[in-house]
Amino acid sequence: MTLTPTESGPPRSPVDPIAEISLAALNADPYPIYARLRAHEPVAWVPALGYHLVTRYEDIVTIERNPGVFSSAEDPSVVVRAIGKVLMRRDGESHRALRAAAEASFRPRAVRSWADRFRALADDLLDDLGGPGPGEADLFADYFRPLAARALAAVLGLRGVSDTELFNWSQDMIDGCANHAQDPAVWARNDAAVTALDAAVAASSEHFLANPDDSIVSAMLHVDPPLDVDDVQLNVRVIIAGGINELRDSGATATYALLTHPEQRAAVEADPTLWKRVFEEAVRWIAPIGMYPRQVVEDTQLAGVPLHRGARVGVVVASANRDERRFTAPDEFDIHAHTAGHLAFGSGPHFCLGAWMARICIGQIALPALFDRFEGLELANDIETRWAGWVFRGPLNLPVRWRRDRSCPQ
Amino acid sequence: MPTVIYILDDGTREEVSVPVGTPVMKAAVANGIDGIVAECGGNLACSTCHVYVEDGWGALPALSEDEDDMLEATTAPRTEQSRLSCQLVMTPELDGLVVRVPESQV
Repeated sequence: MTLTPTESGPPRSPVDPIAEISLAALNADPYPIYARLRAHEPVAWVPALGYHLVTRYEDIVTIERNPGVFSSAEDPSVVVRAIGKVLMRRDGESHRALRAAAEASFRPRAVRSWADRFRALADDLLDDLGGPGPGEADLFADYFRPLAARALAAVLGLRGVSDTELFNWSQDMIDGCANHAQDPAVWARNDAAVTALDAAVAASSEHFLANPDDSIVSAMLHVDPPLDVDDVQLNVRVIIAGGINELRDSGATATYALLTHPEQRAAVEADPTLWKRVFEEAVRWIAPIGMYPRQVVEDTQLAGVPLHRGARVGVVVASANRDERRFTAPDEFDIHAHTAGHLAFGSGPHFCLGAWMARICIGQIALPALFDRFEGLELANDIETRWAGWVFRGPLNLPVRWRRDRSCPQ
Repeated sequence: MPTVIYILDDGTREEVSVPVGTPVMKAAVANGIDGIVAECGGNLACSTCHVYVEDGWGALPALSEDEDDMLEATTAPRTEQSRLSCQLVMTPELDGLVVRVPESQV
């Protein structure tokens, strides 16, 4: 960057919002960068990425309404390298076929049929944390992360797989899906995770082909038309890679938000119907999936910027969710003010398959169970909550303490 | 061209010409009707194009099992008038359909 001398004071950089973008800065806190991009360059070419980042709400809606121009079947694709040609990297009928087989299992009625199981899993974890007297825990590592893994293992019907294995595989595949730097060590971990997960799915499939039940793996094998085991493996890779950290991060983010906004916490504790709003506002405020790619298949333009065939765009839903053209005071967490539609689950044909799993498992069950359980729940003020990521973003820890476990006699 | 009347949350009535074969949701989005969010774009994966049908029941398509399921997840209360507007595809018989947009979709 060149520096321009000014008439008074030290040299000042010319206005160039893009020159300063580095992946490290995005990873640390992308929101100030997104605000600059929305204001100055809403479709911004970022050389460090090889993508145009699209940051305004309206332009992202345009992209999602035109899947024939902005394709999901990016090629080459780091996601395809990591976990294969999964449904989120396909368009049209090929996408429909894989998605349709899993869709029934993710509709609200099907997800609600698992509510008692989710509640039991949450209570088990809270039992392990609680006990007489005051307590403390890292809710990221000891509640939301294992809950996400156990809930998904249960609904999928994966047998003999530990929650540690599942969230390690998930993380290894997530790292693979973001391995734009082509780090061989990341590929090695990713490939080992895919192999191990596929083996678990194959073993479960063999069982379910002879003994169908209400699990998702079983449903995909028996739906009309059924998926073969290879396609079931593809879908389970997506569900594990793209499911565990979203459940985990939406829960941890919502908890952090309430613990730092006492008035809103009091409101939801007085009126449990507000849990739904807490969940939606948490994923608007800090979207667990912040960016996903599309590729231009015919010359077009967006916000006046020409985009040529083959150009890659990064759809920054995390930024759309903070767009001041759409939301008032968008950087604030406010369950009462922000009721317009956020884009944390995407939109259009690729609208998040797991949206209702997250809304019900986390929003309707895990969060109320946690806040009902512990009296005086608060952030542990001597340990900092750390945050990272922009493609995927959430807290890395969530240290809390409480005065009393309400399940124990006083 | 047949028309649909959308009654917005503030009581405003907006009359929109809707080509035969176009879902009532798509026409709302194309004409900037506030309150039809339509997150999933008509794939029966969300329930954010919820409307209350005020008039025109007779000519409506039957409720499918999937729409029935998604209507259980609406933000505004489900009533006997509730439908997802992505499933209401315009026909000549639906001319004059009146739908009320709920206060909230998410």
